[in-house]
Amino acid sequence: MRLTNIALGNLKRRKLKAVLLVLGMVIGVASIVGLYSITRAMQEDIANKIDEFGSNILIVPDTGDASISFGGVTVQGSGPLKQLNMSDIAVMKTIKNKETLAIIAPKLLADAQINGKRALLVGVQFKDELKLKKWWKITWAGPREIPGAGEVIAGSDAARVLGLSPGQSVGIKGQEFKVAGVIQPTGSIENDGAVFMDLGTLQQLTNSPGALSLIETAAWCYTCPIEQVTAQLQAKLPGTKVQALKASTQSRDDTVKKFSMFALAVSGLIMLIGGLVVMMSMMSSVKERTRDIGVFRAIGFRKTHVMRVVFTEAVFLSLIGGIIGYFLGMLAAMAFGPVIAQTGVKIVWQLQLALAAVGGATLVGVLASLYPAYQASRLDPVEALRFI
Amino acid sequence: MSLIEINDVHKVYKGGEGEVHALRGVSLKVEEGEFLAMMGPSGSGKSTLLSVMGALNPPTSGSMLIDGIDVYALDSERRADFRHEYIGFVFQQFQLVPYLTALENVMLPLAISRYPDKEQREMAKNVLEKVGLGEKCLRLPNQLSGGEQNRVAIARAIVNQPPIVFADEPTGSLDTQTGQDILTLFQALNREGLTIIMVTHNKENLDWVQRAVFIRDGSLEKSESYGPRMAQEG
Repeated sequence: MRLTNIALGNLKRRKLKAVLLVLGMVIGVASIVGLYSITRAMQEDIANKIDEFGSNILIVPDTGDASISFGGVTVQGSGPLKQLNMSDIAVMKTIKNKETLAIIAPKLLADAQINGKRALLVGVQFKDELKLKKWWKITWAGPREIPGAGEVIAGSDAARVLGLSPGQSVGIKGQEFKVAGVIQPTGSIENDGAVFMDLGTLQQLTNSPGALSLIETAAWCYTCPIEQVTAQLQAKLPGTKVQALKASTQSRDDTVKKFSMFALAVSGLIMLIGGLVVMMSMMSSVKERTRDIGVFRAIGFRKTHVMRVVFTEAVFLSLIGGIIGYFLGMLAAMAFGPVIAQTGVKIVWQLQLALAAVGGATLVGVLASLYPAYQASRLDPVEALRFI
Repeated sequence: MSLIEINDVHKVYKGGEGEVHALRGVSLKVEEGEFLAMMGPSGSGKSTLLSVMGALNPPTSGSMLIDGIDVYALDSERRADFRHEYIGFVFQQFQLVPYLTALENVMLPLAISRYPDKEQREMAKNVLEKVGLGEKCLRLPNQLSGGEQNRVAIARAIVNQPPIVFADEPTGSLDTQTGQDILTLFQALNREGLTIIMVTHNKENLDWVQRAVFIRDGSLEKSESYGPRMAQEG
């Protein structure tokens, strides 16, 4: 026989109380695991969206008033202080956090008459641009491939206004181009109202070799130090304005952060309540067993032996509560996560979370039983056995 | 040297109604292998004296030596170790742990020993057989009669072979015949060399002991020694 047998024997006798205590622990752990899993999934969802949609740093010449703009960037103004050009791309790749610049998408903006109407031309490197704009849904004229120098892609509004359709030929600045595809409406004026063509071609057409109007870069992965990257780029490119874009995902990110804080606060409260439940239950258990503990002490159990019996009970119950709570929490997150998060979040089983849940529950059990264990160890066997 | 030596022990309890002098200058020597009864009316202080002698209840003043060891000079944990090694208790109402079987109850003192489980089990079974309960060792206390519970309590008190057993009113809740059986068992254990100190208020129990001390109002009134006793005669 070991002290563990005594602890487990007592739990067996007090089945209902043991079950209620485990239940309390299960509810606590399941709530925390569920909240954490949903929050985590929401954060990942945001991170993915930011990574997916984020052309997040915009570099433009630091100049004045607008006549035609692309995302607030001047196409024709009173004269730029610094004209961006292709060599700036090489400079960008020399910043300290250069590895965070996943995609660099330079652009040249120009206006032109197409089918008798004024249109915004955007010269892009299609390979990078299509990588950057993953969410573009394009109706292609033929098999999907990267458009060549003699091809253009039209935004949905531009196509409608200018009368362009996939496969059609169109004359721009005296040169014939094929409309390789039309972008389905994106909800963004910059994308919907422009005609995209090869950057080199537009530079030739506008007689400005190497010139750029702006550079977009997908640098803002969820965990990237965006402020640092922006500052580094600004330092390397004087005379330009480097700005991190506030993507639409940002506001959702704020909501998730607020939800995370709420989840953290609720989790803390649940842990506190869970701890109190364990403490009250263990105190009641100690009180009920005053005589047993008196016997233990009288026959030679040390205070530490008595404490170990109480701890063993608390740890055992907390452990079971932690394990069941983890599984229940995960299942609840899978069932209710998409409803709560209002998105198709993916809840994944995580060993680390399982260990944290079970370890955390055990720790709460141990901490909560500290006082009852101390109380038990201090029981006077003479009083406990009514010797007086 | 006596096995137990108590010198001028006083015990004062402080309560809401003032001080209660439970023991007033008790001095007593108990020899190794003695079967001693402590007699006295209810509230005379005999249970308090038992708890003091059992290393459970530090006296307010005075000293107590067991096997030459000043028990109350030891700290609480070492005193627990001392009890484990030297003393077995048979409590009033037996105080068996209700959720442990008879065998497990007997194994309790061994739970904090270094004996492996198998050896613990063997030791406990042997002792239960010795007290005549070998076949009922897997029963819970509430499945045993009062006399049987008492035997389990005795088995628990002697399982780790302490030299002294203290018994507090061991026959108090038993019928006459069962009480006599228990006393016969005590006598047999005493003949094997165990020192037994028994608190009782029943004069009939004195037929089994070698000596009796009489306590009244916290003081030792008298001590009487007896010759060969009933079971020995029988």
